Amino acid sequence: MTTAQLSVEDMFVPGFDESSLPSDGSEPALLREKRAAAFAKYSELPMPTVRDEEWRRTDPEMFPFDEFTPAPALAPISVAPESGPWDNEFDVVVTVTDEGFHINDAANMLAEKKLVVQSLADAAVNYPEMLKRYMQGEARVKQPRKFTTLVDAFWNFGLFIYVPAKTIITRGVLIRYTHKTPGRVVIPYLVAVADELSELTIAEQYESPDLVELLALSAREFYAKQGAILRAASLQEWGGKTYHIGEDWVRAERDARVDWVSFLLGGQLSKMMVSCDVAAPNSNAYLSGLFFADKEQHIDQCSLQLHSSANTYSNLLYKGAVKDKGHSIYQGVIDAVPHAVKVDAYQMNNNLILNEGARADSLPGLEIDADDLKCSHGATCGNLDPNHLFYLRSRGLPEAEARQLLVMAFFEEVIARVPHEFMRERVRENVRHKVGVAV
Amino acid sequence: MSGTTPFFEIRNLHAKTEDKPILKGVNLTVNPGETHALMGPNGSGKSTLANVIMGNPVYEVTDGEVIFQGQNILEMDPDERARLGLFLAFQYPVAIPGISVAKFLKGAADARFGQGNVKTGPFLKQVREDMDYLEMDKSFINRSLNDGFSGGEKKRMEILQMLTLKPSLAVMDETDSGLDIDALRIVSKGVNRMVGPDFGLLVITHYERILQYIKPGFLHVLMDGQVAMSGGPELVKEVEKSGYDWIREKFGKEVLV
Repeated sequence: MTTAQLSVEDMFVPGFDESSLPSDGSEPALLREKRAAAFAKYSELPMPTVRDEEWRRTDPEMFPFDEFTPAPALAPISVAPESGPWDNEFDVVVTVTDEGFHINDAANMLAEKKLVVQSLADAAVNYPEMLKRYMQGEARVKQPRKFTTLVDAFWNFGLFIYVPAKTIITRGVLIRYTHKTPGRVVIPYLVAVADELSELTIAEQYESPDLVELLALSAREFYAKQGAILRAASLQEWGGKTYHIGEDWVRAERDARVDWVSFLLGGQLSKMMVSCDVAAPNSNAYLSGLFFADKEQHIDQCSLQLHSSANTYSNLLYKGAVKDKGHSIYQGVIDAVPHAVKVDAYQMNNNLILNEGARADSLPGLEIDADDLKCSHGATCGNLDPNHLFYLRSRGLPEAEARQLLVMAFFEEVIARVPHEFMRERVRENVRHKVGVAV
Repeated sequence: MSGTTPFFEIRNLHAKTEDKPILKGVNLTVNPGETHALMGPNGSGKSTLANVIMGNPVYEVTDGEVIFQGQNILEMDPDERARLGLFLAFQYPVAIPGISVAKFLKGAADARFGQGNVKTGPFLKQVREDMDYLEMDKSFINRSLNDGFSGGEKKRMEILQMLTLKPSLAVMDETDSGLDIDALRIVSKGVNRMVGPDFGLLVITHYERILQYIKPGFLHVLMDGQVAMSGGPELVKEVEKSGYDWIREKFGKEVLV
């Protein structure tokens, strides 16, 4: 091996070097520039290794990039793919498949300009100033990770969602990702902005067949401008052989409220990160996570609650269960900058360990440089409470049923944070199925 | 009595927890239509007895039998015992956030009576009536089980469950402790609604107070893991007046002889 080859291996994730950059000349110059800038960063950043604190429990080598090839860029398809059971509950439905993407404006919200849902390619033409501002914008409060810069440079599907000021979109946007072609790396990138005093709901659903090997890399940026309410819920139901690395960024401005919910139920191996900046006085963020690792699933999550302003509020609740040989990791940080007084930050991670051999690591943390603030955090790990189990059984419920009921009860607090009842019911169903009859 | 199948009979029951023997040969029989009270000083094994009857896995039975409806229930899981018609009103009912009272009651009734036999509409109507009878706020039905309930509310919830599940034998483990006089009256009212020719009741208590509302036909005094003395209602007055010391003396002698 020559030195030159060695350095290339250090620089690039297999399959993602200069030659694989989307070279389609038809892409707007703005996006090409963004990609080029991102690629430069991507090339500079060292490859993460298991020696990095953040990757200590999830070796990056566990993601078999060399077995996968980048999926081609997705183009719009004119024929609507098969509809999903929830489509009628939303104003706009975006369907993303291996063949392309389709935006269904059933309620005419896009036509009436109450809402913008466009591919990044279209938005770069129609809303260039906004993309300049929000793609890899202020929400990126820290140096992005290597894999996130990869998304910035190589995304194969990009979506821009924007709600104009003072517009209330209650039903909102559903994005359904269904990928079936094995051996691909799919790279979705989402930028969503709720302008001043607006309201927006976004739900995302990720699916793949159980036996299909897939790798997903994703990045999402959410902006809640002054006085806006932004709800974002994602339901990850990948099949058992799908890998996912994802990074989310959330920014809430003055008087804004963000409700961010993540359900991680599927996939073989997931490494998910969220950074949330409550960036101006009276901004509120609720971050909620539900995860369930069974069989040989591995779910690694980390969160940052950044209080870059005084008088800000954040509340994080992550609840997880592990079963069989499942392994979950949660690492959280609350960071209040020096002048951030009157901050109220809360971080809680509860874990149910349903059998020996399953494992949950919980590492909550605080980094506080200010005084006159309220920060609390906590973590619990344990099996179901035997007193609870005995109580339910003393009322006639068989053990398996009582266990299932208690696991459901454990999760109910976080399930209740999702705006849609059908999504709540779907998650309950999924969890019930995972608990099974004999734990 | 040989030849007839006992309704509920505890025979020479021994039980321990963490190698510490607590029950040391309890004998006690409850016939249908009877109300029995069990009293005794702290540490005599009253709550252990209640838990062993229901099958709490914390305790290990080392000897003896508990016969209910003709079967030795010690070989059964707690949920099987419940479905057979046994009920324990807990001294410390647990709070379970995330399970609504309605859902819990329906699940328990389904288990007890068979899912097809409990129609949701009429069932909830009956529950609301029972709540009314127990002077409970109907909003409780949508709240999480015992979550944020006061002591008195939790005990009323126990009685509501008893009315809902219609057991043939109920054990009440210090249901009266921590209740103010109003709550005690309401709880007793609920219990008395169950009393009848087909229902047996064992009231475990630390205080005579509840026995003014729920009139037992029999009283047993538990001491050091054994029934030291049994009697009729007159024994209640005797205990009230003189405490346990005289029984202890008498019991001690008998055992030591």
